[in-house]
Amino acid sequence: MDRRGAVLVAPAVVAVLFVLGAGLGSAVLQSVGLIPLVGDPALQFTGYVGEREVLAAVGLSLLIASASTSVAALVGLSTALLLVGSGRGRRMLAALVTASIPVPHLVGAASVGLLLSDSGLMSRWLGVPAQAWPSLVAGAWPTAVIFEYAWKESAFVALVVSASLASRLPDYQETAALLGARPWARFRHVALPLATPALLAASAIAFVYTLGSYEVAWLLGAAYPEPLPVLSYRLFTSTDLTARPDAMAVAVMTTVIAGSVALTALALLRRTAAWR
Amino acid sequence: MTTPLRTVRRTLVLLLLVWFALPLAPLVLWASSDTWRGASPLPQEWGVQAFTASLGDGVTSALLGSLAIGVVVAALATPAGAMAARALRLGTLKRPRLVASLLLAPVALPPFAVVMGLDVVLLRLHVPAALGVVLVLTVAALPYTTYLMRAAYVAYDFDYEDEARTLGASDLAIWWRVRLPLLAPGIAGATFLAFLVGWSDYIVTLLVGGGRLVTLPILIASTASGTGSEPRVAALSIAALAPPTVALALAALLRHRLLSARPHTTGKPKAPSPVHAVTLPRGAT
Repeated sequence: MDRRGAVLVAPAVVAVLFVLGAGLGSAVLQSVGLIPLVGDPALQFTGYVGEREVLAAVGLSLLIASASTSVAALVGLSTALLLVGSGRGRRMLAALVTASIPVPHLVGAASVGLLLSDSGLMSRWLGVPAQAWPSLVAGAWPTAVIFEYAWKESAFVALVVSASLASRLPDYQETAALLGARPWARFRHVALPLATPALLAASAIAFVYTLGSYEVAWLLGAAYPEPLPVLSYRLFTSTDLTARPDAMAVAVMTTVIAGSVALTALALLRRTAAWR
Repeated sequence: MTTPLRTVRRTLVLLLLVWFALPLAPLVLWASSDTWRGASPLPQEWGVQAFTASLGDGVTSALLGSLAIGVVVAALATPAGAMAARALRLGTLKRPRLVASLLLAPVALPPFAVVMGLDVVLLRLHVPAALGVVLVLTVAALPYTTYLMRAAYVAYDFDYEDEARTLGASDLAIWWRVRLPLLAPGIAGATFLAFLVGWSDYIVTLLVGGGRLVTLPILIASTASGTGSEPRVAALSIAALAPPTVALALAALLRHRLLSARPHTTGKPKAPSPVHAVTLPRGAT
């Protein structure tokens, strides 16, 4: 084995192994009561016995992640197709997409709060009094949370998909058009298959990110039910020190769900013909 | 193209422009309002009071804290990612696919879960909070820097290094005059993304820092979770958006200059799409 390669890759690999290994290992051990904050270690699985609030959290997290990812994929794909086309307004759209990328989700959440709350910008612009405004922020449905993720991740999807299409799509489109393909056929049989791998990868990353992200739902969501990260953080910072294993169990469950989604997406990606 | 299709396309472009711009509109309006009462659609008085009133109150130290974390994360994650990408490109690693997957793994795992578990470990090892934050965020940035540097290395030709060596160049000279210039666009993109990971982080700083580390996002979160502080939230948010946005605009400008200064570069049959001003991922987290 060549030592040079191993030396070059060592800093990154050691850092990742330490942080992921120690972090997740310790989370698993704590979740089964083997590293208690107080008292003696004793194996227990109470954190994994599906309590009602944990089940509600799993359901809500999956709802938020799938709804926002679906919208982001649809909007992102449409944007990408327009960006690699030649229509008017393309540069303006590209500038806006690019500008949305570095916006931290926390800032996005703060801004969406100012947009959709009951005395927010939309209620002022539409002339709806605060009392009559639907509770989009912290309401029964996580509307504002889903909107924030869908907006931010649609820019991400648009960027990834358009980058993968830019060098190939125009030529293929031209050939298909010369061969007599109608616009719908060009979309269905040329653009969509070319975009699929990038779209799948970007959507999977968006889904997994949304599932494990804390601040947006904390700022814009209702007090109950909470998504997994918010529930886990509340238990983690609880004054009741025996809640620690429960917090860790929720964290481990989130990791398992996110990891399974990532692996499934990877398996699907390997099966798409255009991969590599 | 047929006329109805063109109308559909125009409407779609217009709707998408609104979709991407609308969520940030409140920040611009609130940050430039001196007075905005009641249900009025626009502020009654415009001005810069939101900014002048928000300065002080620890904003400067929070800004410097965010800046320091961003710079340190970029300074660690970019070279580490570049080295890993080089090793993967050299093709001498034993299990290249395993290594590549491992370096991408942090993207797929929830940061809050990793950090909650790590907290106890860092405490027992007496690792200072700032060091812990930087370590975790560097790992969070590694997938992006490795990915971008691998993309940069795909087009990289090792023959240039060999030629320079034959001509008597030292290792340092090769690094400085061959490798760095050839990989510069990739390095710039990786540095930018790694900086963003540190600059915009909230949950890692909150969990590891335990309230002792105050960064701009920590300040924004505590302000935004209260009520009646819209101008301050907007002013702090704009302060967080300005540096990366200015950097992006400068990079786009520079790229434009470079491209128009060298019109005869080979192998570029088509003008690149404007989105390629930036390569890839996320306003991190």
